[in-house]
Amino acid sequence: MRRLAATGVIAAALAVLWALGAGSQEEMKAVSSDPFPRPQRPPAVFAHDAHNEKAGIEACNECHHVYEGGRRLEDESSEDRRCADCHGLSDENGRPGLRKAFHRNCQGCHLERRRGPILCGECHRRR
Amino acid sequence: MNELYRLATGPLLWASFAVFVGGSLFRLLELFLLARRRERFLFTYLSLRYSLRSIGHWIVPFATVNWRRHPVLTIVTFAFHLSLLITPLFLLAHVVLWDEAWNVSWPALPDAWAIVLSLIVIAGCVFFFVRRRVTPEVAYVTSASDYVILGLTAAPFVTGVIAYYQWFDVRLFTLLHVVSGEALLVAVPFTRIRHMLFAPLTRAYMGSEFGAVRHARDW
Ligand code: HEC
Ligand code: HEC
Ligand code: HEC
Ligand code: HEC
Repeated sequence: MRRLAATGVIAAALAVLWALGAGSQEEMKAVSSDPFPRPQRPPAVFAHDAHNEKAGIEACNECHHVYEGGRRLEDESSEDRRCADCHGLSDENGRPGLRKAFHRNCQGCHLERRRGPILCGECHRRR
Repeated sequence: MNELYRLATGPLLWASFAVFVGGSLFRLLELFLLARRRERFLFTYLSLRYSLRSIGHWIVPFATVNWRRHPVLTIVTFAFHLSLLITPLFLLAHVVLWDEAWNVSWPALPDAWAIVLSLIVIAGCVFFFVRRRVTPEVAYVTSASDYVILGLTAAPFVTGVIAYYQWFDVRLFTLLHVVSGEALLVAVPFTRIRHMLFAPLTRAYMGSEFGAVRHARDW
């Protein structure tokens, strides 16, 4: 009887989790390359939440940053906007173009921490 | 593997550029000194006009008797050398790396074109290899180092295509691609690939002698 109850509770919990998962928006697995007019590479793999957990990144504004007068604001973030909203296709006085912004952000940290991919084909993976 | 890649794209890259540029300058200086010792009077008739006239003819396919006499070789030679120079300079991935390292940028080829040009280079190497084996007058002047430079030339293109399509292990082949490209740069001053530096000078020498001394054509 105890066994049966426990199984029921677990099943109910799983059902709730599944419903939550299905209800929330589809999980991000790669950085979309659609802001680029004619993408030449497969989109870079990036399982958003799993990546940040594994890499131990707490602050959202490590990537979703906000600048004011050339300085990065410590306690503001911009996850409601896409990188392409602020980064045009080419460099603009001190603000890297979109491709460069992604590469500096992603590779920059991987190089600095000596963890994470730095080769083209490790991120732009063909399936 | 990533540590090896950092080594290959850091210190090794600088070393190979230094050897390529330094070695090439040394070879040119050496040639200049040799000419001054052996053929002093060369400088009295060396002519810009006849030099350019000669280079101008030899740089255009079928513009010389020799090119016309060997049509297949001519087509392969031009397709091969053009692809060999254009691909590394205008490959998107290389343009990206220059841009991100030095903030200098220029237009890039679409990747599909770069693949076609790379295949032309590889096919050219195969053609030259076969030619060295089967043509008696070429086989006669062929030494082992001629095969080595064909292999050295093909290697960055073969590994580049493999890394691009991510066949086998993409990390291994990206690393091999970088290292083989560096080996090719280093080989320029020390092997027959130095004809890349000397070819225009050879034409200037021949062109001036034929134009200014013999009053004849050298094409
Ligand atoms: C390692 C870098 C990084 C970190 C850290 C990060 N994000 Fe993101 N996030 C991205 C990238 C890249 C995108 C895609 C942006 C684009 O396409 O313009 C993104 C997209 C998003 C999106 C849009 C999702 C979608 O599916 O379109 C949301 C929401 C978001 N992030 C929230 C957060 C929050 C909240 C945090 C902190 C808990 C966070 N991010 C931390 C890199 C990061
Ligand atoms: C609200 C606008 C805005 C958004 C959204 C934004 N950026 Fe930026 N970003 C800027 C500005 C402004 C600068 C220039 C900073 C300076 O002047 O030095 C900048 C600079 C950068 C730099 C160079 C400085 C550094 O931090 O290394 C990188 C890399 C970068 N952004 C990546 C990203 C990425 C990746 C995203 C999306 C996850 C993103 N940015 C989203 C405004 C934005
Ligand atoms: C602030 C640092 C940081 C930033 C920014 C960052 N990463 Fe990472 N990333 C890491 C670390 C650390 C790891 C290694 C995690 C591990 O395997 O322990 C990693 C690992 C990865 C991996 C391998 C994941 C796996 O499962 O092995 C991928 C793919 C990746 N990052 C892609 C990206 C992309 C794409 C971006 C930019 C949108 C990005 N990263 C930005 C720190 C960062
Ligand atoms: C750490 C991960 C990472 C690495 C390593 C990386 N990229 Fe990217 N790259 C990205 C992200 C993220 C974007 C943004 C759009 C996307 O997902 O394709 C991007 C965008 C691009 C774009 C513009 C979009 C397109 O497809 O045309 C090009 C070109 C590109 N990368 C080429 C390269 C080349 C070449 C290399 C190796 C020299 C490289 N990348 C290495 C993450 C990476």
